[in-house]
This record gives sequence, structure tokens and C-alpha cells, in this order.
Amino acid sequence: MEWMSLLLDALWAAIPAVGFAMIFNVPRSALPFCAAGGALTYGLRDVLMHAHLSIELSTFIAATTIGIIGVFWSRRYVMPRPVYTVASIIPMIPGTYAYEMMISLVRMNTEGVSDVLLSRFIENGLHAVSILFAIAFGLVLPSMYYTKRKQPII
Amino acid sequence: MVVKVATMLLEYGAESRLIEQLSSRLGVALGCTSIEMSLIPSAIVLTTLIGDSSVTSTRRAYEQPINMSIVHQIVTICIEAEQNPRDIMRVERALANIHANAYPGWLIIPMIGLSCAAFSHLQGADWAGFFITFVAASVGMSVRRELSRRNYSLLIVFAFTAFVCTLIASLAFFEGFSTTGHIVLSSSVLLLVPGFPYINSMLDAFKGYISMGWGRWAQATLITLMASLGIMLAMGLLGVQGW
Repeated sequence: MEWMSLLLDALWAAIPAVGFAMIFNVPRSALPFCAAGGALTYGLRDVLMHAHLSIELSTFIAATTIGIIGVFWSRRYVMPRPVYTVASIIPMIPGTYAYEMMISLVRMNTEGVSDVLLSRFIENGLHAVSILFAIAFGLVLPSMYYTKRKQPII
Repeated sequence: MVVKVATMLLEYGAESRLIEQLSSRLGVALGCTSIEMSLIPSAIVLTTLIGDSSVTSTRRAYEQPINMSIVHQIVTICIEAEQNPRDIMRVERALANIHANAYPGWLIIPMIGLSCAAFSHLQGADWAGFFITFVAASVGMSVRRELSRRNYSLLIVFAFTAFVCTLIASLAFFEGFSTTGHIVLSSSVLLLVPGFPYINSMLDAFKGYISMGWGRWAQATLITLMASLGIMLAMGLLGVQGW
């Protein structure tokens, strides 16, 4: 049952990946890969979080995985890597954290600074920033490995 | 010609390393000795060396919506040019044939609505919230398309879209229609996340193009700030309660 819900969540995550891929105007042939990548990263992150890893660490691992897969895909289909990778990590964007952070900021402005609000602001903000960095660093890592070699990826 | 390719890549949002590699490969394939370039976010300075003589030219890059399929077509052209070196006519013809491959509005608007609704579902919203998110994000996306078509500044487009999205999403608070109003509000503005500029800036900075990285990062941050400004305006206007 648990695995079922994980799988379903991963399928839900494929939808935003495709939608955002469309905003970036990726070529039609790449859309299925974006969907697969989105489902894969989200599912992997869920599984890792089930294994009691922190959300940042599991995001980082998932982003690295899609980065490595993106290298293979881009070689095979002659496509710049960000086409696959950026769309795939979209479902992991920490939108809710960033939003909560902003809300507490606005409330501090209107109601005055209190301890609860301040701690909520810092907590959510830290979460959002660290997840963003985990995503970015995870995506960069595979290509940093390849920049060591002189030969270009595609 | 090479500078034209490089400018197009920069305008449509390729990462710096790709721009530099592709232009120099294309240059070599077309018979230059080497290509040297320097990039800043709004312009390109490019020198072509042919034997002992060199030509330097500067091009301004204008802001364009990110379009990965154009980048992909340019990549394909460059690789083709490498396989048939010195065939300038062929490359020219291929470059003239590049098309934008824009998705039609009737497809992209519901798709974005569905994406943001899927976000809200993943965060645990109920079905009423799902529906409101769908409507809010679809309307937001059509607003964004309309405004972009009329050539407003990107920042204004984002602020106004966020404003509209939040206004519609606030319906969730109306008479307890949905129990998960926060999630609806936060996920209906997710269509404004500037994912590509952020990731590009990170990639650039990590690969040694510090100034490009900073430039793109500043641009992405400005966009985010403007979007949150729109959200705050809408909230202030409605006095959304309950948070």
C-alpha cells in the first residue's frame, strides 16, 4: 500500500515536469523523457525520505541521479542536458517553504516581530535555500566531472 | 555568422560553456583557426582568427523567452557542420530555417493548470483545492502569455501574473470552500518559478563563468522578488485571513 502511494505520487510529479518543459519550449521528442525524469526524481526522493534521510540530502541524491542520467540521454539524442535535467527537478522546488517564509515576513511587518514568527521565518527560509542549493549542486556535479576531460559531452 | 549563432544561444538561454564550446567548434568547422570570446549577460564580444588576421565584433543580446528547441536546433546544426566542414551555404540555409516550435495556447494553458494542481495534490490539498489551483494557474498562464505577447517587461509580467493567481487562489479561503487554502495559494504561483535562470546561473558559476553566473542569478532573483511583490499586493488587497 505504501509503495502504491509512492508510485502514484511519482506519477503526479510527472505532470508538472511536462508542463514546465512546455514553458521552456523543449522539442516534442524530449517531453516523454522529461516526464520520466520528473517521476524518477520525485519518487527517488520520496523513497530516500522514507529511509529517514533528511529532505536536503535526499533531494541532493535525486538531483545527482538525474544529472548523471541526463548525460547519457543527451549523448544519445544530441540534446543539451538542461533540457532534461531542469524540467525533471521542477517537482522538487521548495515552493511551500519559500511561501511560508514570505508569509511570516509579511506578518512580521504588520504585527510586529515575535519569537514564533521569527523562528518560522528562519526555519522555512533555511529549508528553502538549502533545498535549492542541493538541487543546483546535484545537477552541477556530473558536469563538473566531465569538464575535467577535454572532450565535450555532445 | 559564428557571432550570430552565439548571440542566439545567449538570447534563448543556453549555458555559457555550451555557447563557448559550440561557437568555437562551429568556427573551426567553417575554416577559422580559432575563436575567442568573452561573455557578459547582455552582450557578446567575439574574435575570429583566420591565419594571421583577426576580426572582432560585438553583439548586443536582447531578452527573449527561454526556448530550448531553438538551442537544440543550433546544436544539431553545429554537429552537422562539423561532419561536413567548410560548407558555409549549408549552415546558412539551416540557420535560416530555425523555427520556434511554440506549443499552442490551448495545450499549454491547461497543462500548466494541471501541473500546478498536481503540485497542490502532492503537498496534500483536497480536491476542491485541486480544482481552484487548476483554475488559478490556467488563468495566470494565459495572462502571462498575453502580456508577454504585448512585449511588456518580464518583471512586470511576473508581478502581474502573481497578482492574478493569488487573487483567484484566495477563493479557497472563501466560506471554507477548501480546508487547505495555504497550499492552494502557494502552489498556484509555482508557475512563476524561474527554474532555468537559477540552474543556468549555478552551472555557469560552477564552471568558471563567474560574471555570467552573477548576472543570471541577479535576474532570477529580481523575477522572484517581483513575483512575491505581486503576491503581497494581492494579499494586502484582500486581507487574506487565517495565516
